[in-house]
Amino acid sequence: MPDFAFLWQTLEKLVAGLPLLFQLVSISLAAGFVLAVPVALMRLSPVPPLRWIASSYVFLFRGTPLLVQIFLIYYGLSQFVEIRGSALWPFLRQPYWCAILALTLNTGAYGAEIIRGGIQSVPWGQVEAARVCGMSGLLLLRRIILPIALRQALPAYSSEMILMVKATSLASTITLLELTGIAHKIISETYRAIEVFVVAGAIYLLINFLLTRAMLALEYWLSPHLRDAPAAARAQESAALVH
Amino acid sequence: MTDTTFEVRDIHKRFGALEVLKGISLKARDGDVISIIGASGSGKSTLLRCINMLEVPDRGEIRVAGEVIRLGDGAKPDRRQVDRMRTRLGMVFQSFNLWTHLTILENVIEAPVHVQKRPRQECVDEAVKLLEKVGIADKRDHYPVHLSGGQQQRAAIARALAMRPQVLLFDEPTSALDPELVGEVLRVIRQLAQEGRTMLIVTHELRFAREVSTRTIFLHEGRVEEDGPPDQVLVTPKSERCGQFIAAHY
Repeated sequence: MPDFAFLWQTLEKLVAGLPLLFQLVSISLAAGFVLAVPVALMRLSPVPPLRWIASSYVFLFRGTPLLVQIFLIYYGLSQFVEIRGSALWPFLRQPYWCAILALTLNTGAYGAEIIRGGIQSVPWGQVEAARVCGMSGLLLLRRIILPIALRQALPAYSSEMILMVKATSLASTITLLELTGIAHKIISETYRAIEVFVVAGAIYLLINFLLTRAMLALEYWLSPHLRDAPAAARAQESAALVH
Repeated sequence: MTDTTFEVRDIHKRFGALEVLKGISLKARDGDVISIIGASGSGKSTLLRCINMLEVPDRGEIRVAGEVIRLGDGAKPDRRQVDRMRTRLGMVFQSFNLWTHLTILENVIEAPVHVQKRPRQECVDEAVKLLEKVGIADKRDHYPVHLSGGQQQRAAIARALAMRPQVLLFDEPTSALDPELVGEVLRVIRQLAQEGRTMLIVTHELRFAREVSTRTIFLHEGRVEEDGPPDQVLVTPKSERCGQFIAAHY
C-alpha cells in the first residue's frame, strides 16, 4: 500500500520548486529564440564569415552535453580574473544566471537549426512574388519569409521546448533547488528515492502535457490556411455543384 | 520618350555555358499588348524575368516609367531602384505564387499597404473592387489553398493590379491550369487589354494571343526572330521557323 501521506508531502515540497523551473524555462526559451532567429539568418547569409560564426556556435553547443556547458560556465568562467573583474560578474557568480546562460545558448543553437529548416522550406515562388512587389530585406523577412518559416518550424520547436523543460533538471547540479534539486534533497533526508522520483516525474509529465496542448492550440490558431474552408463557403460550393 | 512606357535594350543573359538571351530589344507604348511566343527554351520566360530583375541580365538596359537600369561590366544594380521599378511592373506567375498564410484580401493589400505605404482602408476598398472585377469578391476571406487554380490566378492578377503598375507581365498565366479553368483567366486578361493596359504576355495560347495583342514577338534561341502585328506573325510569318512553330501549335 503506497504511503499517500508521504507522497502528498513530497508533492507539496516539490511544487515549491516550480516557480524557479518556470523562470529557467521561460527566460531561456525567450532569450534562446531571440538568439536563434539571427543565428539562423547568419547560417543562410551569403557572407561567408557570418556563416562560419553561426555554424561554429551551433556546432559547439549542439555537439557538447548541456551538463558540460553548465559546468564550464559556472565553474569555468570564474577562473578568469577578467571575468571576475567585469561588470557581468554579479550575474555570472550566481548559479541562477549561469544556468539561464547555459540553457539559452543551448536552445539558441537547436532553435537556430529548426528555424533555418523552416526558412529553407518557404516555397521560392512566394519569395519571388514578394520581390516583384518591391519587397526586400527586412520587410520581406518580416512580412513573408518569417511568418511562413516559423509556422513550418512550430512542431519541431514544440519538441525543443519540451526538451528544455526536462533540461532544467540539470540546473540542480549547480545547487539550484528547482524540482529535481528539491527531489534530491528529500531523498537524502528520507532515502525514499523511488517514491520521490515518481512524483517528480509525474510533475514533469503534467507540465509537458499542458505545454504540448498549448503548442497544438497555437499551431491550430496560426494555420487557418491548413484547415477546411469556412463552412458557409463550402455549403455554397456544394450547392453550386448540385445546380 | 513620352509615350514609351517601357523599353529594354540589348538584353543578354547567360546561365553557365548557355546563352539564353542574345541581345533582345523591345519597346512598348502605352496600351500595347505584346504577346511573346516561342518554343520552350527560346528564352521567353527568362526575358520576362530579366525585365523585373528576378534574373539579373549580364548586359543591357531597362527603362520603366522614368527608371533606367543599365547593366554590364559587372555593374551591380541599386537595390532601392530595383524595388522601386518592380512596384511599377505587376507580375503574374505561371504557378500563381499567392502567399499561403494570408487570405485573398490580405494577399491583395499586402504590397500597397506595406511597400507603397498607402492608407489601409483605401487599399481594402480598392482591393474589394479589384476582386469584384476578377469575379472572386466572395472569396476575400478564404485562404489560397481553398481556391481552384483559376480562382487563385485571378486573385494573383488582382494582387498585381493593386500596386497600380504601369506595365503588367504575365508569365504563361494559364499553363498550370486545368483546361476547363483556362477560359476564366483569359477572360480577365482580355478585359484588361480592352481597358488599354500595357501588357507583356508570355503564352502558349496562340489563338488568344492573336485576339488580344497589338503586337506579337516570336523568340527563337534567344533572339527576336519575328516581330509585328499578330495577324502577320501568327498567320503569315516571314521566318520559316516561326511558320513551323505556328503550324505545330495553332
